[in-house]
Amino acid sequence: MTTLLQFSGHQHLRHRLVLSILSGKHVRIDKIRPEDKNPGLRDYEISLLRLLEKVTNGTIIEISVTGTAILLKPGIISGGPLTHDCPLSRSIGYYLEPLVMLAPFSKTPFQITLRGITTDENDLSVDLFRTVTLPHLQLFGVSEGLELRIKKRGAPPEGGGEVQFLCPVVKQVKTLNFVEPGKIKRIRGVAHAVRVNPQFSNRMIEASRSILNRYIPDIYLYSDVYKGEESGKSPGYALSLLAESTTSAIHCAEAISKPGVAPEDIGLEASRALMAEVNLGGCVDRKHQILVLLMMVLGSEDVGRCRMGEPTPRTIQFLRDVREFFGTSFKIVPAEPVSTQLLYSCYGTGYVNANRALA
Amino acid sequence: ARLTSDRSSRRKDWTKLIYSTSLTPKQILNGQEENALEGDEEVDEDDFFQIKRRADADQDEVLDRSKDALAAEELRRWEDEERLESIRHLFITGGDTPGGNG
Repeated sequence: MTTLLQFSGHQHLRHRLVLSILSGKHVRIDKIRPEDKNPGLRDYEISLLRLLEKVTNGTIIEISVTGTAILLKPGIISGGPLTHDCPLSRSIGYYLEPLVMLAPFSKTPFQITLRGITTDENDLSVDLFRTVTLPHLQLFGVSEGLELRIKKRGAPPEGGGEVQFLCPVVKQVKTLNFVEPGKIKRIRGVAHAVRVNPQFSNRMIEASRSILNRYIPDIYLYSDVYKGEESGKSPGYALSLLAESTTSAIHCAEAISKPGVAPEDIGLEASRALMAEVNLGGCVDRKHQILVLLMMVLGSEDVGRCRMGEPTPRTIQFLRDVREFFGTSFKIVPAEPVSTQLLYSCYGTGYVNANRALA
Repeated sequence: ARLTSDRSSRRKDWTKLIYSTSLTPKQILNGQEENALEGDEEVDEDDFFQIKRRADADQDEVLDRSKDALAAEELRRWEDEERLESIRHLFITGGDTPGGNG
C-alpha cells in the first residue's frame, strides 16, 4: 500500500510535487483557488505538471474537472533528451527550480531544452541559475558535466529565449558540513541588454561599480552580448550579481529593467540588493535555502550541518512538508549566542538513486 | 521594526515553532505567539450581519516565487554611505572589526 498525502491550496505546489516524486508517495492537492473568479490551476502550473510527466516514466496525473484538485502518482525519474516550451506567464526559472531537485536522481542524465522567458522578477534568472544554483549542487557531489547553456535570451513579455540544462546522475549525494561563512573575496556579475542600446550593459556595470569598488579589488562584471535571433523577441536588460566568500559561500541578487527606469538605477538596485543579502550572512543565501535543505535530507546517513540566516516563509513550509514526506526534521539553533544566523542540522535519509541505470 | 524583530528572533525556538505549532510561516517570522491567536478573530456582537471571511481570497494574489522582492524600504536603507561602510568587515579587505568571526 502506498501512502497518500493530502494538501490544500495552490501555494508551495512545486516543492510538494518534487517531494512526491522523490519519495514515491502519492499526493493529492485540493482547494486550488476555489474562490477565485478564475478557479483552479493556472496555465503555468498545468505546464509544470506536463513537464514533470515528461521527465518521468509511469507518472499518473489526474486533474479534477474544475481544475481545483490534482492527484499525482509518481513514476520513476527518467530524464534524457527532452524539450519543453514554457508558457510566457512564468519564466524558465520557475521550471528549472524543481528540475534541478530531481535531475541528480534520474535514470539517465538530463539534457533538457527549455524555451521561454530567461529573466523576470519572480524567479531566478538563467544567469543566477548558472552561476549560483549549479555550484550549490556541486556541494553535494553533483558536478561532472553539470551545465546550463544559455543559447538565446528572451525578455518578457514575448520571450523567445532558449536554454539547455545538462545534469549528471549520482548514486547518492554527499553529506553537507558548511558552517564557516568566510569573508567575501570576489564579486562577479553578468549584465545583458537585448533589443535595446547595447551600451545599457556598460551603464549598469559602471553604476554598480560605484557601490562595489569600495570593498574589494576582485570584481569582474561581464557584459554578455546577444544579437539578432539570439536576443529573443522583446527588449529588456538586467544585471545579475554574486559575491563569493573564502569558503565558497555565495550570495546573489539581481535587478531587471522596468519601464521608465534608467540602466544606472537598475545597476544600483542590483548592487544594493546584493549588499542586503551579504549582510544577512550565512553560508547559503535565502534563494537557495530550500535546495540545500532538500539535499541535506537526501544525504547519506550522517548528520549534515549548514549555517544560514532565518528561514523564509517558503522555507518554513518546506521544512514542514519535508517532514510529511520523509519523516526528517531539522534541529535549528542559533549559530552563536548573539547571532541572528542559525545552524540547521539533520540526519540524512541515505537516499539512494534506485532509478540509475546499472552500467 | 527591524531592530525589534531581530531581538525577538534571538529568543525564538525555531525547531519548536516550525514543528510543534500551527502558526503560519508569516506569523512565526513576525514573532506571534500561538496563544495570542485567538484574539485575532474579534466578533462584534452588535453586528447582526457578518461578512463571510474568505481566508484564501487575498492569498491568491501571492505568487509562488523563488525570488522574494526586496522591500523598497530595505533597498533605500542601502543608499546610505554609513550603512554601506558597516558591512566592510564581511570582506577580506575589511579586517576583523565589528562582530568579526575571523
